[in-house]
Amino acid sequence: MSERAYRVLVPVDGSECSNRAVEFLARKAKYYAEPLEVHLLNVQHPFPGTIRGVHRQAQEAHHEEGMKALAAARRILDEAGVPYQHHIAVGEPADTIVRYVKEKAVDQVVMGTHGRGAVVGLLLGSVASKVLQLVEVPVLLVK
Amino acid sequence: MEEILTPQFWTGLLTIIWVNIILSGDNAVVIALAARSLPERQQKQAVFWGAGAAVAMRIVLTVVAVELLKLPYLKIIGGLLLFWIAVKLLLPEDGDDDVDSSDNLLQAIKTILIADLVMSLDNVIAVAAAAKGSVLLLVIGLAISIPLVIFGATMLMALMERYPVIITLGAAILGWVAGEMTVTDPVLVGWIETNLPWMHLHLPLGLGAVSWAQIAGAIVVVVLGKWLARRAAEAGVVELPQHEHGQPKQPGGLG
Repeated sequence: MSERAYRVLVPVDGSECSNRAVEFLARKAKYYAEPLEVHLLNVQHPFPGTIRGVHRQAQEAHHEEGMKALAAARRILDEAGVPYQHHIAVGEPADTIVRYVKEKAVDQVVMGTHGRGAVVGLLLGSVASKVLQLVEVPVLLVK
Repeated sequence: MEEILTPQFWTGLLTIIWVNIILSGDNAVVIALAARSLPERQQKQAVFWGAGAAVAMRIVLTVVAVELLKLPYLKIIGGLLLFWIAVKLLLPEDGDDDVDSSDNLLQAIKTILIADLVMSLDNVIAVAAAAKGSVLLLVIGLAISIPLVIFGATMLMALMERYPVIITLGAAILGWVAGEMTVTDPVLVGWIETNLPWMHLHLPLGLGAVSWAQIAGAIVVVVLGKWLARRAAEAGVVELPQHEHGQPKQPGGLG
């Protein structure tokens, strides 16, 4: 069996904490023995279902906001010379990350302890704690 | 003006404000989204006419709704419609009802007007249900909705992102008033009095009475909405295509 790349998922929302997780991975990328496959994932909240007739524009808005949220993380990895793929998904953040881990056979999750939505002072954000509970692969949390 | 001294007035007012933030905010989101593919100068025009039309439709529909809701059966219909709106609020946006996607001003205005009509109807039914016949509350509801239609998009987006529970609570509130509206239809009132006298629950401390129809409405909306949303999500991760598809001519977020 040929050596398969070690697939790391980094969910990012553009917050400082999630960027620190990306920085950490950029610094430690060479510590992984296997070839590393980094996936950046930004999850956009869907608009409520009462919204009508503007699906294409809604997707464009998600794309644009997603690229904004990914910008800093991409810059960090570009500068560190770590190759990566980036993705934007639409859905409930924690559920989408968990589903993504299963669907794409992710080996490890690296993420910040809290993102934009967190109440200040909370030790562990709701998304991180839900991901921690629901995925079966190792999760590396960066403060 | 002794009306404003009753707790019913204040709960009604709170309901109307809450429901308006969501149901006028989503209308504002549609206007902003439909306008965003236009050149900047036309964007302002589209938002101006779109919001103006939404306000006009709300005024007309409010007057019509007050009269119509006195007729038998219409509260039942309105209640069921409201119930569906509440469930829909909990589902993610879907692409089935896309009208057209050309990028000219007329098309944008058409998209906005259709959305305005449907969404103003949603809003007016909800406000009328919460106002329970109080003209004062209806007028306040209308007044609150106007700035929200114009400026509400950014606010709703920020709330959704930070506190998604506001939408869930909003849906529960809509289910609550939908249940109430349905059982207060003239056709049903007498029948319920004789056959289901346990429907009314008297609260202690002079808090008034609640109806099981309200409680059931709120619970069924949240359970059904969450279940349908989960089922939709089970279809897999909704990932946006990687290529730089349909980049808007004018960058810039909502609102």
